[in-house]
Amino acid sequence: MKKPDRRVPTRRQFLATTAGATAGMASWLALGKAPAFAQKRELTFLSWNHFVPASDDELRKQAEAFGKVANCTVRVDTMAHLQMPAKVAAEAQSQSGHDMYRTAGADPFLYENLLLSVDDVVEKVGKQGGGWYSFSAESSQTKSGWKSIPWFWISFPGTYNQAHFKKAGFEGPPKTWDELLKMGKVLKKQGNPVGLPISHCSDAHSTYWSVAWSFGAKVLEADGKTPGISSDKTAQVIEWYKELYKDAMEPEVLSWDDAGNNRFMLSGKGSWIHNPVSPYNAALANKQPIADDINHHNSLAGSAGRHSAPPILSLGIWKFSKNQELAKEFVAYLFQKQNYDAWIVASNAFNHPPLKNLADHPIWARNPKFAMLPKEAEYAHPRGWPAKPSDTVQRIDDNYIMTDMVAKAINGMPTKRAMDWAQEQVALAVKGQLKG
Amino acid sequence: MAVGPRVLEAAGFPRPGRLSRLREWWEQEHVFGYGLIVPAIVLLVTLVAFPFGMAIWFSLSDYWVGSPGGFVGLTNYRDILGNETFRQTVQNSFVFTGIAVSLKMVLGIWLAMLLARNLKFKRVIRGIVLLPFVIPTALSTLAWLWMFDSLYSVVNWTAIRLHLINAPGPNWLGQSTYAMAAVITVNVWRGLPFFAITVLAGLMAVPREYMEAAEVDGATSWDRFWHVTLPLIKPVLAVVILFSTIFTFGDFNIVQVLTRGGPINTTHLFATLAYQVGLQGGNLGQGAAISLFIFPLLALVVFFQLQYVRKE
Repeated sequence: MKKPDRRVPTRRQFLATTAGATAGMASWLALGKAPAFAQKRELTFLSWNHFVPASDDELRKQAEAFGKVANCTVRVDTMAHLQMPAKVAAEAQSQSGHDMYRTAGADPFLYENLLLSVDDVVEKVGKQGGGWYSFSAESSQTKSGWKSIPWFWISFPGTYNQAHFKKAGFEGPPKTWDELLKMGKVLKKQGNPVGLPISHCSDAHSTYWSVAWSFGAKVLEADGKTPGISSDKTAQVIEWYKELYKDAMEPEVLSWDDAGNNRFMLSGKGSWIHNPVSPYNAALANKQPIADDINHHNSLAGSAGRHSAPPILSLGIWKFSKNQELAKEFVAYLFQKQNYDAWIVASNAFNHPPLKNLADHPIWARNPKFAMLPKEAEYAHPRGWPAKPSDTVQRIDDNYIMTDMVAKAINGMPTKRAMDWAQEQVALAVKGQLKG
Repeated sequence: MAVGPRVLEAAGFPRPGRLSRLREWWEQEHVFGYGLIVPAIVLLVTLVAFPFGMAIWFSLSDYWVGSPGGFVGLTNYRDILGNETFRQTVQNSFVFTGIAVSLKMVLGIWLAMLLARNLKFKRVIRGIVLLPFVIPTALSTLAWLWMFDSLYSVVNWTAIRLHLINAPGPNWLGQSTYAMAAVITVNVWRGLPFFAITVLAGLMAVPREYMEAAEVDGATSWDRFWHVTLPLIKPVLAVVILFSTIFTFGDFNIVQVLTRGGPINTTHLFATLAYQVGLQGGNLGQGAAISLFIFPLLALVVFFQLQYVRKE
């Protein structure tokens, strides 16, 4: 009998091998992941399209470097900031998606039950970084612990055109909101109005909260449940806005999106806006001569002091993530001094650290136009303050209640009625209803 | 004539195999017919009926993003009816749809009649007319955003140079009336080609003899349009108006890109308010109630218009 050729498999061998391979392939397809021997852990991170794209490039570089250290791949997905709330809501709803994401606003409180407690990371990173600024706990620490790690904040100083101020006979920028009003009247006559958005955009919120706090006005009481709008202080805020609109601004502020004030400043028409340093950075990047004229100054003060409502962004890890420990390691890696420093440089001083030691970076002292920016951390609060961020605060902003209150008053509604309207809306926002 | 397996069997041929029995079963009219429409039904159920059912359920519950709610009956509908922004949105939607659809109808018929003439480069012109309909709305609306920009508005710049208005011109997106005019303009610009091309198809079907007969009888061009053309294109027109009304009521992109519902909510439509409340604000229950609010009315409109079309 002829011996079977060793190189040619018998029918039985062939069947056994192919059956095994088929079963393996089927289980691979059914599980939706590669078999164990081929698997490499993948950490997925959803972030925004940074306003300074080089910052995202640096983030991706660090993610890749971390991947090599931790033997995994880190996928950083970015998307437009305005679309993030819907995407995050969808992930929360379906309990699936990225392992971690860039939280904003009241997210840590809104998704308190769905986000992982990260007290351990906060403590470890905080100790290394010389302690957190006070707004960090205000914006991330819920009743059930820290639900996100404060990542960075974006300073929201006064941005002004020195040449226009000089031409109008002013030595320097304003120090208070009242001074801004006085100077703005002269500047508008000169053809260089000032500008604060009073429209459906997020810069309008940042400014309203800052102005209101500086005047001593509140939106919510500290309990987060009692509307606190109806007061003489809020009436003063509205009157101030009305006067500024009439005598120092132009109607275009009612139509601005978040880039409206940037365009206004870069066009050379505007003399003052309340905005992060992005117009200056854009002018520098595009080699526009106006970069020489643009300068910044600290948040303006009012009768109740100096307060600011900058965007505060954090890192949250979903409870449904299968890579929770890996995500924590990645966060700690991003906070290592050399990594965080490189990230600040990549953003051209746009990303501000919430940790005191990291804020000592020379980039701010080196450029006199940035020197005052780190100081802003001391004035910062999350929106809603003195109440904690909450779904109520988010609803107040999402439904543009404060902006619309000011816009109504500017369009002729008596101040008291506009204020009562907003008070009622906030009461509905507390109950979770649509504003009426 | 094809010979079926049963005939073959009766004729003494051997019994057919399993495969041919299966084929025989499949080729029966009621099985084959249903088999062909199953994919369509699956698509409709999963992509239309299921989300629609979910939306109805959401609107009857206090569902929040991330926290499944319970049944609350019509509470969401009662709540939204009792508030000013929603009432403002209802008013905006009717003004927006009423004006936009009327303009699209008048201009669409006019454009269709122009296109029906024997023009040079007829095909190229018809192609160009379709462009606004073909470009993704979000992109073309961004171009409009620049045209209405407060600083760089090319609309204002042109009008000022032509001495039609005084500088600085209207603040298109910041004042209620202008903002509504702006969103309607973009909607009409975008929806006009759909009207024009569909009406053009209707016009092509009008027999020339009728026009010639009317001409011989001494009818003016207006008479010919009013008494001959219009009655003949009425069924087409009814269908186009129906579709356009539904699309216009449900518009989202244009308002979201241009005004995000502002100033002071005077350009909010159902879809943009539902997005703001349901997705940005997290109140899925109320968001769903807002977007479904107009559904019964639209369903009625569809019912009566389709009845009318059938009669015609």
